[in-house]
Amino acid sequence: MLANANRMTPYLFLAPAALIMIVALLYPIGYMIYASFLDWNPSQRIGEADWIGLRNYTELLGDAAFRESFWVTLKFASIVVSIEMVLGVGLALLLDRELRGMTLLRTVFILPMMIAPIVVGLVWRYMYHPTVGTFNRFLDSIGLPSAPWLSDGDWAFASIVIADIWQWTPFIFILSLAALQSLPRSAMEAARIDGATGWQLIWHIKLPLMLPVLIVTALLRIIDAFKVLEVILVLTNGGPGLSTEILALRISRTASEFRELGYAAAMSNLLLILLLVLTIAMFAYTKLQEVRAARLRQAAED
Amino acid sequence: MLNKWTFTGAAVAAAIAGAAAANPYAPYEGTTLVVNFPAHPHYDAAINVLDQFTEETGIEVEVDQLQYLRMRERQTLELTKDEGDYDLIAYVVFSKADYVYADQLENLAKYFMNPALADPSYDQSDLISGYVQNIGVAGGAKGYLPGQLGSAFGIPFGSETSVLAYRKDIFEKHGIEAPETYDELLDIACKIPELEPGMGGMASRAASGHQASHAFLLHLAPLGGRVFDDEWNPIINNEAGVAAANALKTIVDCGPEGGTTFGPAEAASAFRQGQAAMFMDSIAFAAGFEDPTQSTVVGNVGYAMHPMGVRRGSQTGGFGLGIPSNAPNKEAAFLLMQWLTSKKGDLAVAMEGGNPSRFSTYQDAGLNEKFPYSATFGEALEFADPDWRPIIPVWGSINADIGTTMSQVLTEGLDPQKALDGVAERTRATMDDAGYYAWQE
Repeated sequence: MLANANRMTPYLFLAPAALIMIVALLYPIGYMIYASFLDWNPSQRIGEADWIGLRNYTELLGDAAFRESFWVTLKFASIVVSIEMVLGVGLALLLDRELRGMTLLRTVFILPMMIAPIVVGLVWRYMYHPTVGTFNRFLDSIGLPSAPWLSDGDWAFASIVIADIWQWTPFIFILSLAALQSLPRSAMEAARIDGATGWQLIWHIKLPLMLPVLIVTALLRIIDAFKVLEVILVLTNGGPGLSTEILALRISRTASEFRELGYAAAMSNLLLILLLVLTIAMFAYTKLQEVRAARLRQAAED
Repeated sequence: MLNKWTFTGAAVAAAIAGAAAANPYAPYEGTTLVVNFPAHPHYDAAINVLDQFTEETGIEVEVDQLQYLRMRERQTLELTKDEGDYDLIAYVVFSKADYVYADQLENLAKYFMNPALADPSYDQSDLISGYVQNIGVAGGAKGYLPGQLGSAFGIPFGSETSVLAYRKDIFEKHGIEAPETYDELLDIACKIPELEPGMGGMASRAASGHQASHAFLLHLAPLGGRVFDDEWNPIINNEAGVAAANALKTIVDCGPEGGTTFGPAEAASAFRQGQAAMFMDSIAFAAGFEDPTQSTVVGNVGYAMHPMGVRRGSQTGGFGLGIPSNAPNKEAAFLLMQWLTSKKGDLAVAMEGGNPSRFSTYQDAGLNEKFPYSATFGEALEFADPDWRPIIPVWGSINADIGTTMSQVLTEGLDPQKALDGVAERTRATMDDAGYYAWQE
């Protein structure tokens, strides 16, 4: 009896904190799920809104603007995360060495992600300005025609991709560098003794060992890229047309401009489900890779 | 003895009554009002005269000034509370539909009926009627316009209409007269880039969303169009609608480089920096054109009325003042609202650089001396169209649809007729969903 009580004691002490954590974490999500079943506008209290069941979700299926936003978001997230991963990991591999001034260089590389997204949007908007912007002035100075950076759909999409890559490649870089520096030096030395070249070291030792970290890094960036808002809001406000209207912007507009809070909540929930599925899939893959990496590490050490 | 006391009592009562009559603000002396204003040049001017109000009335005023979209968000939360924090709010014109529909603004009739509060010299008829109808009144025709059963829920304050600003020096150099009709306007807009290489004809808003919608609607009313007919059927895709879309496309195509990304600030900036010969938008931008610290065209700007299409019709927009239903100090708030929008208050704010809400203010000699363009603005206001865009609760999504579709017309070459047919179809579905056809057979 006493032994049972002793076993329960730690749980009893932990229970209040755990309960607060669970409520704090789940309450807003529960609120959002509940709201998605309502016809709710901001002039009403939530209790005054009409219950409409799944109507918001069924309307979403036929909403062409939502589909377009979803497609733009998918395209945006895939492109920026792919390019940022290649650049970020590449830079980390390049700068993973002890040379003079390397600390300063690393600090400079991570500066962009320290800047508030609104400021990033304003700075890039100015640089993309058709007449006084940095890019068109440069093109002009070398005798090339101006580019319609933000005034043409395809160019505007490319412009938001460039700004995002500029800001978030350092994030990949810093995590990749940390992963690289934590790799067992013995594995690297063993490979070198066996005659591995630099490229072989990267492909067969470093990248496989870094993979679990890279997957989590990519996951964090994908989640973030799906939710990006401020930079695009300032740069293009979703235009021209709907060419850069990513989901977060559509959700924000639906809630504030169209005043359809229930419908916006339904959109948010779909985004949440998508990211949740992606997270579970990537974590499962990470687990698999961790097992493989452990085997590889063991083999290298043997 | 009785007579003596009766006389004394009567004298004291008369004295109190006299004192009350002499100072209607006395019961509210020491009250502190909390007001919610936007960050906007008109309200900056209004804040400058609030000390004068406090000095005259003994009523203190605390201002919560926010960027206007942020202000709207804050108000949305504030107005749903049982007891609000704001005594008086400035609201942007399209909020009228939401606030009145949700019963969140006080009907002003009871205040104007109260002799202790209503200033007999207020002169309602002097308020610019287009603004009053657009911003203040609801419950009449179409619900958002005046009519026999309509009431006032707010008073225009910081309201705006559209005028044409043009470069006098450029026009004189090429012997061009300020355009009076849309045909002339479009002709000049495309002639300027040929006459002045590197300069656009007219700078206009055109960015995707609200800005492109605003720009399109600016031309729709004078060209004879409307978004809806009297039965709420979308008619935006009729001949006038297509003409308005084509007019906007011509203006943007002949305008300064990058015009399809312009909001009002960028368009005004292009005009101020000499990149365009014309600018047609709110009167609120005029002060910036004459400010040597930000403008390269000071002294070279002429002003003309919004050109005529098949009719005259300049925009009406901006802000109004209203008392929230949950305001803690409603009567004192009314006194502040009345003071700010009185002849004296309106002129004081206008002299500080604000937008007048009264015809008499525009005729004031002192104001015309300080801001010479005021006379043209006063003239334009006679044609201010309160129905140039609908003010209904579902307008937000219709407006966004018009704006993104117009952006596609401007940037992707989408055919205007086809584009507007699509808008009309989607608008009908939105209106149907909102119950606007419930009474149609």
